[in-house]
Amino acid sequence: MPESVRALVERYKPPVTVGSFGAVFTDTSQFMDIGYGDVIAVGQSHYLVMGDERERRFGMEDPKFWVKRCIELESGAYRILKLEFQETFDQHIGPLTITCHRSAVKEARILRLVTGDPRFMQGQTYKDDHGNLVRVLERVAGRRLDLNIEDIHAEHREYFHEIFPGILTRFIAACRAIHHLHQHGETHGDIRRDHLYVDFKTGDYCWIDFDYGYDSVENPFGLDLFGLGNILSFISGKGVHAIQDVDAEAHGITEADCALFFRHRVVNLRKLFPYVPEELNRVLMHYSSQSEVYYETVPELLDDLEPCLDTLRRA
Amino acid sequence: MDFRNILISVDASDNALRAVDYAAAILGPAKGVRVTLLYIERAPNRDRFESEEAWLGQCQLDHERVFEFLTKARAVLVAAGVPDTAVFERTVLCSAEPSVAQTILDVQQEGGFGTLVVGRRGLTKGEEFLFGSVSTKLVHNAKNCAVWVVQ
Repeated sequence: MPESVRALVERYKPPVTVGSFGAVFTDTSQFMDIGYGDVIAVGQSHYLVMGDERERRFGMEDPKFWVKRCIELESGAYRILKLEFQETFDQHIGPLTITCHRSAVKEARILRLVTGDPRFMQGQTYKDDHGNLVRVLERVAGRRLDLNIEDIHAEHREYFHEIFPGILTRFIAACRAIHHLHQHGETHGDIRRDHLYVDFKTGDYCWIDFDYGYDSVENPFGLDLFGLGNILSFISGKGVHAIQDVDAEAHGITEADCALFFRHRVVNLRKLFPYVPEELNRVLMHYSSQSEVYYETVPELLDDLEPCLDTLRRA
Repeated sequence: MDFRNILISVDASDNALRAVDYAAAILGPAKGVRVTLLYIERAPNRDRFESEEAWLGQCQLDHERVFEFLTKARAVLVAAGVPDTAVFERTVLCSAEPSVAQTILDVQQEGGFGTLVVGRRGLTKGEEFLFGSVSTKLVHNAKNCAVWVVQ
């Protein structure tokens, strides 16, 4: 490591031990070789690598070797560096297989589009010496929405009447954010409840991770609308309600009351919680296996969803 | 609209070929028909490709595939008895907006086509939710024309 960069590390290293001074990378093509103690130099800044990011889902941890947790040495700020990793892969949604791609170009484009928009994670993109797109991301000062909701210790009725209207208000704003992408010909591509964060200060919602894309010619926003429906079902139900976990017979729940893609997830929440307004339940039922009409655009969804908010506030 | 002025919307798929085969069997013996093979061209998603060259290569492959298909489709129609001079080909570029279905309907209206023929993939409900269905949209939204959906 050159003395100049070594001095930067000495000066700005985080309050953790940096056991070794690694190499300085100006070409990130071989991202598997970049690890703890190395420095990535792009965009006239130096980023000390603290480790690979991991995806935590369903209690499992998956290392993402192309995503590095870093300290920007010039500022001392925490940054996440996403290195270019183009891949095509199959995503399974219930019985369906969808061919998706991961694209640095797409995410870089969206980062530019949403600069300064707190509804989205923020960052800038630089090219390394080899022309790879390196996205330098700010950490979202917030927490995953689903974890927040799981931590609410209240019965569903109390949650639904006291807390949910506020959550739905912010979720509607998050839907509008997705519409903003669609209006610019973009999709989020990977709308999941763990990709929506709650800002610590404002409580507003912030989308992260938009490097996934997929080909859907006739219904370009279908997968995003599907994701929004899943989150809506989660926040309305204060979690997922699997058919095997409820007294299906007592509630008269059949497969027709479950999600189109996940035949075990109850979306007809009114059968579980009779105080769920009919208007909201109708929206949820668009995602059920018995639905014949689907939302294709965010405004279609919001046209039905926004009146629910009024109903909830009046209740 | 003239029902003998027929628009067959094709891509290079087996479903489209079934639609052409069906239309040929019906139209071959008919008098005074005029058949237009319509291909709605949509460039592959650039984000899927690592480089401009890879993307252009795919565009070229798609183009050749469609050219071969249109040649074959014309041959099927002519072999069934439709005069060669009554078969036309048209390619229309379609960007993200409007949809393929809307582009087909725009062509149908502009060209005064009284019959619209399209193949159907046979999507499941889930696939239709996520991907959308051109044939379903055509059936729902077509005006002043008959729609033949060939499964």
